[in-house]
Amino acid sequence: MMIEGTQEYSLNMGPQHPSTHGVFRMVVHLDGEVVTKVEPKIGYLHRGLEKMAESRTYTQFIPYTDRLDYLAGPHNSLGYVQAVEKLMDTEVPERAEYLRIIFAELGRIASHLVMIASGSLDISGWTPWSYCFRDRERILDLFEMTAGNRMTPNYFRIGGVSQDVPEEFMPALKSFLEDMPEMIEEYYGIFFGNEIAQSRMKSVGILPKELAENLLITGANLRASGVQYDVRKAEPYGIYDRFDFEIPVLYGCDTYDRHFIRLLEIQESKKIIEQAYKDIPAGPVMTKVPKVLKPPVGKVYHRVENPKGEMGWYIVSNGSTKPARVRIRTGAFVNVQMLPEIVKGWKIQDLVTIFASMDLVLGEVDK
Amino acid sequence: MFGKGLLKGLSITIKRLYGPNLTEYYPEVKPILPTRTRSSMVLEPEKCISCGLCINACPNQVIILTSEKDEKNKKVLQTYHMNMGRCLLCGLCTEACPTKALKLCQVYENAVYHRQELLWDMIARSKQANISSGKVE
Ligand code: SF4
Ligand code: SF4
Repeated sequence: MMIEGTQEYSLNMGPQHPSTHGVFRMVVHLDGEVVTKVEPKIGYLHRGLEKMAESRTYTQFIPYTDRLDYLAGPHNSLGYVQAVEKLMDTEVPERAEYLRIIFAELGRIASHLVMIASGSLDISGWTPWSYCFRDRERILDLFEMTAGNRMTPNYFRIGGVSQDVPEEFMPALKSFLEDMPEMIEEYYGIFFGNEIAQSRMKSVGILPKELAENLLITGANLRASGVQYDVRKAEPYGIYDRFDFEIPVLYGCDTYDRHFIRLLEIQESKKIIEQAYKDIPAGPVMTKVPKVLKPPVGKVYHRVENPKGEMGWYIVSNGSTKPARVRIRTGAFVNVQMLPEIVKGWKIQDLVTIFASMDLVLGEVDK
Repeated sequence: MFGKGLLKGLSITIKRLYGPNLTEYYPEVKPILPTRTRSSMVLEPEKCISCGLCINACPNQVIILTSEKDEKNKKVLQTYHMNMGRCLLCGLCTEACPTKALKLCQVYENAVYHRQELLWDMIARSKQANISSGKVE
């Protein structure tokens, strides 16, 4: 309620604000310190990826897929290459399937680490930030030694992966997996168990279950609102059906749970990677595909669970070397909708935490 | 008890304080990157057969080359330029090269002051020792 003689104040937050994790702008309407309304303004990072896909061959578009959710490159490419493989009816060698899972899940861990780190940084917790980034660095090293790049590995190919892992990869992966329990304990001790962090996040920015479902929220944000839905279980793709893992679900619906569920998911990803590490067979990593790819006329929709939510690839082929149309459904883009709903009535300082808990990456929002 | 979590956090930090130092002292100490890292390109002009497969593989039309036919009707490379301002360093060109004339290398200090300097003359660059060895000196 406005006090007589005062007026509503609108403030531009972003696009260069450090807490907007990229170039996101929101127009915040304030009554004193209290947020009355937020209007998200997107598009600052729009690169026209869908249109770009139409002017590039199927293989040439793979490096661009890494640039959607640039914190977890492999999973985006996974969705894209599997969609094209579905269109062309291509079989992928076993070893490549396992390597894909290992990379996709490592990418998920890296992405969630960034989310936890930046969430803590947004409430001035510098130490957890440096701890998470220290461990994420090891994942990026694994990407670099295998695929040649840290954040945009461009590793997957239509029909397999670009090359086999180097000799030193498996020992490095093993030691990373062995160190993980200690890391997780550290994150808990230093961030999630910290009373200041808890009091800043618990019961803040509630996203009720019904609202989450109605807004088509996906990914960890949905699971923190009490819905146990994950594409990896609901519609297993690749070889996800071979692994034994749980879908964590929390019922707090608040900022704390949206952070905490990422920690639980990191543990599940670890389980998957351990199983893949144990079972990975030897053999080729690439199947025989023609040099010039010409998928048959047709269309395909393929969805995957990338770290930010459900990612869908709709590809229309007209039989030529380039796709006629590519449509990308990204989780983060749809998840932006929840922001105006859940920040109403909270203070401007809470807006920063609530925004961090949504884990948006602007590469995915703006495409 | 309120504050137990804070003490736990502090004890972790203090333990880490006496752990190994993880900071890299760049640029005083230059890291050596893995041999697969895509941070730069190097061409071996003698090996290049001017087939143009690298041009076809590139999503961004980075590579511009010219060639002439010799008396045996074989193509001979004349110029080879890469417009690095457009390059994604995706490595699709090096994957496509049949003779491995175009290769990735780990020179990573590629920043320049002027946009024109991003047009790399690959034949001239191949003669620079530090680039052809693929390591930052
Ligand atoms: S690395 Fe990629 S973008 Fe750069 S020249 Fe090669 S194919 Fe083109
Ligand atoms: S693909 Fe290799 S051999 Fe062919 S033109 Fe390019 S650099 Fe030369």
